[in-house]
Amino acid sequence: MALIVSGISHRTAPIETRERCAYGVREIGPTLAAVCEAARAREGVLLSTCNRTEFYLVEGEPGEPDAVAGVWTTLSARLGSDATPFGYVRRDRDAVRHLMRVAAGLDSMVLGEAQIHGQVRDAWELSRGHSGPVLNRLFQTALSVAGRVRTETAVGRGAASVSSAAVLLAKKIFGSLQGRRAMVLGAGEMASLALQCLLDEGVRAALVANRTYEHADALARRHGATAMRYEDCWSQLGSVDLLICSTAAPHVVVTREQVAQAVAQRGDRPLCILDIALPRDVDPTVGRLDNVFLYDLDDLRAVVSANLELRRAELPTAEHVIDGEVERYWEWLAGLAAVPVVAGFRAAMERLRAEELTHALRRMGDLSPDQRAALEHFSRALMNKFLHEPSVRLRAAAANGRGLAIVDAARYLFALHDTPVPTSPAVDDRTTDTEIANGERR
Amino acid sequence: MVAFALLLAVTCYAGAAALAVTPLARPIGPPVQGVVTALTVGVLAHVVALAIAGYAAGELPIAGLGAALSVAGLALGTALLLAESLARDVTLSLIGGPLAAGVTAAAVLLGSRPAGQPRGAQGLWLASHVAVSFVGIAALATAAAAGALYLVERRELKSRNFGSVFRSFPPLETLDRVNHLGALAAWVALTLGIVLAGSYSVAYGQLEGPQVIWGGVAWLAAGALALGRQLGGWRARRAAVAATVAFVLVVASYLATRALASRPGHFL
Repeated sequence: MALIVSGISHRTAPIETRERCAYGVREIGPTLAAVCEAARAREGVLLSTCNRTEFYLVEGEPGEPDAVAGVWTTLSARLGSDATPFGYVRRDRDAVRHLMRVAAGLDSMVLGEAQIHGQVRDAWELSRGHSGPVLNRLFQTALSVAGRVRTETAVGRGAASVSSAAVLLAKKIFGSLQGRRAMVLGAGEMASLALQCLLDEGVRAALVANRTYEHADALARRHGATAMRYEDCWSQLGSVDLLICSTAAPHVVVTREQVAQAVAQRGDRPLCILDIALPRDVDPTVGRLDNVFLYDLDDLRAVVSANLELRRAELPTAEHVIDGEVERYWEWLAGLAAVPVVAGFRAAMERLRAEELTHALRRMGDLSPDQRAALEHFSRALMNKFLHEPSVRLRAAAANGRGLAIVDAARYLFALHDTPVPTSPAVDDRTTDTEIANGERR
Repeated sequence: MVAFALLLAVTCYAGAAALAVTPLARPIGPPVQGVVTALTVGVLAHVVALAIAGYAAGELPIAGLGAALSVAGLALGTALLLAESLARDVTLSLIGGPLAAGVTAAAVLLGSRPAGQPRGAQGLWLASHVAVSFVGIAALATAAAAGALYLVERRELKSRNFGSVFRSFPPLETLDRVNHLGALAAWVALTLGIVLAGSYSVAYGQLEGPQVIWGGVAWLAAGALALGRQLGGWRARRAAVAATVAFVLVVASYLATRALASRPGHFL
């Protein structure tokens, strides 16, 4: 039994390739079914996002078709050319570690991004028809590890994009933006994005001002804001908490005098100005005014870069958390592999014992019920004594990582090739360790 | 036993401050649970210490410098515990923790045995005045701590320094709100303290100059701050500076009046 992950990601494939290899929600089930069928894989999950397409598979018995080859055939057919140069394969522990790193955002394009957590969960949900105890446990563990990484390290903290940095800066001043008043100068694409960000954060009243009133009006209508003429905006400056400047003007449009006048009407209320225009819209000396906090694009980028640096510094701690969980999962998986072998081994020995006991009793002639019971007890006790140590060692060897080879050796030595390896129990697959073990024993 | 419990309280207050520093060193979430637990244990140990000291002396442990400082430490620790629990933040402990630990440690060094106080209704009256006044001073200290932190964070934000203060301090608005609440609570409590002190001196004829001066300065400082905020529209930097100045003024006037007092050991 081998656990493999095979696919392409932003690290190995350009966006054009990733686009073509991405699967929609409706395609996931049939694609996974086809791959599992072709590769005789016992379990499978397909994770497809804009940055990666990965097949997580539990391979069938030795001698079955190569699951990896099945994946490449599928991806190459999708791509219309050979996909192997863009792909990678991870096996066993590396595959486990890979999924945990992916779910925690450590393998993401923007280190520590949170969206991937939900995407991994969705992929698991969409693949439920094909996942079994091994992958269910793996995905459950990976999602839980991702949560731990987020809470125990700073890998997901702080802003990682310019727009989130803008929101973060404003929140550092006002706390929540819920119910605040904001004004956007400009009606271009950046202004539109900024306006949407503000409204998403609960800004109560948003004003849009532009030299061309019609543009301001169109933008305001699109976002449910209020448009105003450029000449009138200065009189409103005293009543807003947040000013976002994003005009295409080649010179300063917000002067120190204009802001000083507005600040004088505001009392001690802070005013946050985010100048996201290039060239800048706001006279830099505005930032020297009391209770005015002025930030430009360079500042927002500095916030992002400081946060990403911090996230990178947290990588060793995050990897340490993952290492521990990989070992724990692997112990569980190896133990799971040993269970049917031990059970098969004991069943074979029990059959032998029963046969030999029957022969012996037949040869010994008339025996009293007590004597028969004593012989029965003796044979059973002897077999248990013989089997105890090998059973314990087999489970231990399986669990300590050396073990899958030993488990295979035991299957070979005791001719247990027909022993079934774990399959999905008939219960809900999001089972606990004990439930799965019980399922196996059934 | 009293000294041991007080030392445990000092350790917990200092421990809360040390925990509050960790987000500055490493960008993790604020250890709210740890800080609140440390403060809770500290306050409980402090209450036990005061209860034992009061039981042994047969009176409330509020008279005498050591005893008074011990009560002040408890008031600060309690105010801090309430503020941090409600705000689910730890930043105030950066200043409040060492302050509570320092005041309590001074009480341990001076000895927290009460210096003797009237019994019966007179004693209860005096105890109420002292307790309410300490609550007022603790609230003023909390407002000042929030103000000081506001000034530090404001400076970082104005100078576009996005370091550990930027990452770990609460928003300016939150600090300003704590400052506001602290100022109002301080003024209300100190006003009540003054009323109790005035009526006590009328009833029992005991009035000491230095106490009156210090009480008056503290009440005026808190009053100016509260009224400035409520009526003068003080907010943000102005309010932060005012709270810090008010607290420094109260501490300085305490030291000055204590130096001038004819019986310094009896003062507070």
